[in-house]
Amino acid sequence: MQGVKAPLIRIAGVSKHYRSRGSRVTALAQVDLDIARGEFVSIVGPSGCGKSTLLYILGGFLRADEGAIEIRGRGIEGPGIDRGVVFQEYALFPWLTVEQNIAYGLVNAGMERRQRDETVRHYVSLIGLQGFEQRYPRELSGGMRQRVAIARTLACEPDILLLDEPLGALDALTRETMQDELLRLWQGTGKTVLMVTHDVNEAVFLSQRVVVMSKRPGRIVDNFAIDLDRSRPREELMVSDAYNEMRNRVWLAVRREAMAAAA
Amino acid sequence: MLGLRAFVLRWSSLALLVAAWELAVVTRVADPQFVPALHDVARALLDLAFEKDLWEGLAVSTMRALVGLALGTAGGVLIGTLMATSARANAFLGPLVATTYSLPKASLVPLFLLWFGVGNTTNILTVFLATLLPVVVGTYQGVKSVPQVLVWSARALGTSPLAIVLRVQIPGALLPILTGVRVALGFSWVLTLSAEMIAAKTGIGKLIFVYGESGAYAYMFAGIGMILAVAYAADRLLVAITARLLHWNDGIAAHREGTA
Repeated sequence: MQGVKAPLIRIAGVSKHYRSRGSRVTALAQVDLDIARGEFVSIVGPSGCGKSTLLYILGGFLRADEGAIEIRGRGIEGPGIDRGVVFQEYALFPWLTVEQNIAYGLVNAGMERRQRDETVRHYVSLIGLQGFEQRYPRELSGGMRQRVAIARTLACEPDILLLDEPLGALDALTRETMQDELLRLWQGTGKTVLMVTHDVNEAVFLSQRVVVMSKRPGRIVDNFAIDLDRSRPREELMVSDAYNEMRNRVWLAVRREAMAAAA
Repeated sequence: MLGLRAFVLRWSSLALLVAAWELAVVTRVADPQFVPALHDVARALLDLAFEKDLWEGLAVSTMRALVGLALGTAGGVLIGTLMATSARANAFLGPLVATTYSLPKASLVPLFLLWFGVGNTTNILTVFLATLLPVVVGTYQGVKSVPQVLVWSARALGTSPLAIVLRVQIPGALLPILTGVRVALGFSWVLTLSAEMIAAKTGIGKLIFVYGESGAYAYMFAGIGMILAVAYAADRLLVAITARLLHWNDGIAAHREGTA
């Protein structure tokens, strides 16, 4: 069944250039990537390799200068609620409470009051923030804010999740907890996920496929299929040989690119 | 108890001024013909309190200041938002804003007098122009400083480009906008009174002017004292409203502290 179906997301020959002080900088060069429905794919690579740019193009915030992107066989015209985006800096609305932030997209979708309240309650309990419904973002810790940002996006039930270093600002412990939650979520909902991260462990732990990008201009240089038994608990999985071998291979590939970028 | 020392410090400069004033007149360091003793000013104030001139003047002036401010705020938010969100609008309006920003708006009063005659139109128009620009500048900077990711995430959550302005950019710019409004509120009293002195038959500015002309300095200062009290109360009210509206904002504590 998988091989027959067209991919959910098809990125073909996508390039993106910026103008910077009169000269042209190529952020992305000829990127090809297919993502199947329900797949969890991570993009890793040195800073400034254009991985976030690719995500923003998929989000509909930026336009590709060359190449084509198709989602379900159709081009992208601006942002859409079929693609939920979680940003590195959370991007919560600071003037709205936790509850109002989560309800934001639902109000736009015209969901009726009662159903909306119920949906918000569901997601508040999913992220374990009962009792914090009336708090404002500035009263929350980084981890809590990130959970609200993820809940706000999930509440709209997008088919595709675009995550831009979603856990980048969290401390190591909170980060692992959030990774576990993300994994459980993905396993439970079967959403298609594309995540940008600079953390190789995170990418290998969570993804079915890890894509390595080169230094600028960003190209895809490696594409690792990660076949791990994710029903095993984290402690077991992360010390297993299969995990570590995969992690080392991805890490070496990223390191090679990082060294090339520094040279 | 802890607030007592701050309270004393806060009001002591004013108390010192009052004491120095009264002392200077009583000891004849200052000529009471030109500087009325404060107790005479107080007596004049008491006198005026039973006259409807003062209250009518205050009401008319406050109406002019606040109507002008309201129009200036509405126009300023509109123009500032346009300039911040459209490069074309910015290119078109930017030079106009930059060149008229430092123009003393009171200098236009004779012109408005010619066009609109004595009365509310001339007064309110002057206040409108003076309050417009601080709000334009505050709104422009505020909207520009709203993080791009906030706009993007609102778009990704199904907000239309037009609704972004109302639901994201203006709420996100509220602190700089209200800071601009506060500057504009100060201007609104200055311009109301200046315009009334040149082109009005009513208003507290006219009253102060007439008392000054006729040498009734105690009454003149009584009028000045009243308008000071009203302007101060209006400023405190605006600060309180700002704090209420922006309780979610990280920067609001600093905003509140920076005020007397």
